Amino acid sequence: MKGEPAERLDPRAKTLWRISGALNVLLLLIGASVANWALIRFGDISILVAVLPVLTVLVLGVVVVWVAPGLRWRRWRYEIRPDEVDLQRGIFWIERTLVPLARIQHVDTRQGPLQRRYGLSTVVFYTAAGPNHIPELSTPVAAEVRDRIAALTTEQDEL
Amino acid sequence: MSSEKHLHPVAMLVGAISTVRRWVGGLVFPGILLLLSQGFNLRTVALFLLVVLVVAMLAALWGFLTWRATTYAVTRNSFRLKQGVLQKNERTIPLDHVQSVDTVQGIIQRAFGVVEVRIETAGGGASEPDASLSALGRETAQALRLEIEGSQRGRSEEAKGPTILRRLSTRELLVAGATSGQIGVAFSVLAVGSQFLDDFLSESYFRRLVEALSPNWFMVVLLLVPAGLLLAWLLAIAGTVLAYNGFTLSREGNFLYIKRGLLERREATIPLARIQAIRVSEGVLRQPFGLAAVRVESAGYGEDAGVSTMLFPLLPRDEVDEFLAMAASEFGVNPHLEPLPRRALRRYVFRAVFGYLIIALAAALVSFFVFQSARGLHALFLVPPAAAYGWLCYRDAGWAFEGDRLVVRYRSLGRKTAVAPRRRLQSRGVMRSPFQRRARLATFFAEVASGSGGSALRVTDLDAAAAEMLAGNLGPGTHLKRA
Repeated sequence: MKGEPAERLDPRAKTLWRISGALNVLLLLIGASVANWALIRFGDISILVAVLPVLTVLVLGVVVVWVAPGLRWRRWRYEIRPDEVDLQRGIFWIERTLVPLARIQHVDTRQGPLQRRYGLSTVVFYTAAGPNHIPELSTPVAAEVRDRIAALTTEQDEL
Repeated sequence: MSSEKHLHPVAMLVGAISTVRRWVGGLVFPGILLLLSQGFNLRTVALFLLVVLVVAMLAALWGFLTWRATTYAVTRNSFRLKQGVLQKNERTIPLDHVQSVDTVQGIIQRAFGVVEVRIETAGGGASEPDASLSALGRETAQALRLEIEGSQRGRSEEAKGPTILRRLSTRELLVAGATSGQIGVAFSVLAVGSQFLDDFLSESYFRRLVEALSPNWFMVVLLLVPAGLLLAWLLAIAGTVLAYNGFTLSREGNFLYIKRGLLERREATIPLARIQAIRVSEGVLRQPFGLAAVRVESAGYGEDAGVSTMLFPLLPRDEVDEFLAMAASEFGVNPHLEPLPRRALRRYVFRAVFGYLIIALAAALVSFFVFQSARGLHALFLVPPAAAYGWLCYRDAGWAFEGDRLVVRYRSLGRKTAVAPRRRLQSRGVMRSPFQRRARLATFFAEVASGSGGSALRVTDLDAAAAEMLAGNLGPGTHLKRA
């Protein structure tokens, strides 16, 4: 296997992940607060134990919003080689995936509401075994990546 | 042959019965209510029979209309099916999109000597066939199949019939049932059955039964547990006999044909070109006797078992290579497998034991604090067997890349060997956790297309350099480098 893939995601990805992470944590926090309230109101346990759910969610929130996006961005790399797509991702478990261009059936770009606000897009390419994603590229870059993959796939002849 | 054709008239009956089946759900409840509220006098019985008669007639009429509305035709390069009494529906399937033409024989079809033909395409969903003809005469079905598959197949091969590769004998069938290890499945059937019984036996009856038996509960358990096990085992055998009776695998050119089933005769076609990977699995009860089953994973194939199809349910392990050489030679290899490095053993044992350690710890804590006893530590007895299982997993794991095929062996309860040619790998990669990085180990995975999605061949904890080498060598343009 060759060295690390060359390209990185758009730096705005970190902000986007922070926001979406914060939204998820907020939902969890609401659930935890309800559990907390129920524990204090009806449970017969010390207050230190009762606040555990909210504390756990808060710690999780710090990790998800402050720590994880930076690490994730630093690790995420991709490269479109002439014969295959090379992906690397993961914070704790580092995963490296190679997808031969000859196996790619079609390529999409997609954009969620939050992504639209930051001008980011996700490239999704499908093999017979399912989809692979390259998330949070700036929209023009994503379009270029999509077109490059599409062009390279038609050049390859099926094995 | 491009004329519109009708199905065999038995299709009317099949249609009528399936309509009745759909209506019965709605009718049973009011029917029973009626009978219960009025008692069994002549009037209610007559009314009941009248309703049954009307339903039967309506269903028969519907069956006839459905039959009249359904026609099919094979034109030069497509298959066309017209359906629908009220809402007309016409479907055209290009012949080169057809993945397989299967025939299934339900009980009704069997009674009349006709078959149901199912046509599947590559893009179709897993649960429903893309086109289904509920009744055709045997010859018509055969002719249709030849017509559809003829476009994919060379002319020369049509002349000779399929040659039978292997047939499951009655003895093998029973052995397959006895060693299927589907006791778990049978148990769940039993559990559902006992739920059903619960509804019938009243609670007070049940309580009296328990009271009568409770002095001898030990004896009861001693009797009930083996009896339950035996029943589950017999059910597993019965299930296997139902599914695999008369299992026959034959081959004609580049197509494999499977026939099987006791009550419902099923025939399936597997085009060799669609097979993505083969898995040889030696179940826990089979490995000691040197027996194995062979499954194929084919891309988007039929509704049969979702992701993979049974290629042959039972054969001696040492005949598998010879069998594959005949059936699907692309997959017939038995290379020397590369074992995992010694330092992977620690991780395998740890992974197997970890869950039980947590359970034991939790049990110990709970029993200490809640029940003030050390009983919870008994859960530690689970740890040595788990460790032994981890060691087995380590010992059985191995991989090879030979003759342009990836071979992976692993254990998940039973020992499994998967074979996939390089050109079938959709993607591949290497995964590393911090612990693996420290031990210079990695997990290698390769995905093949199967059923609705992918399915992975995985080697956990092989040497990191070997994993990188594998990922690099299995690429498209690169030429084979020897491991």
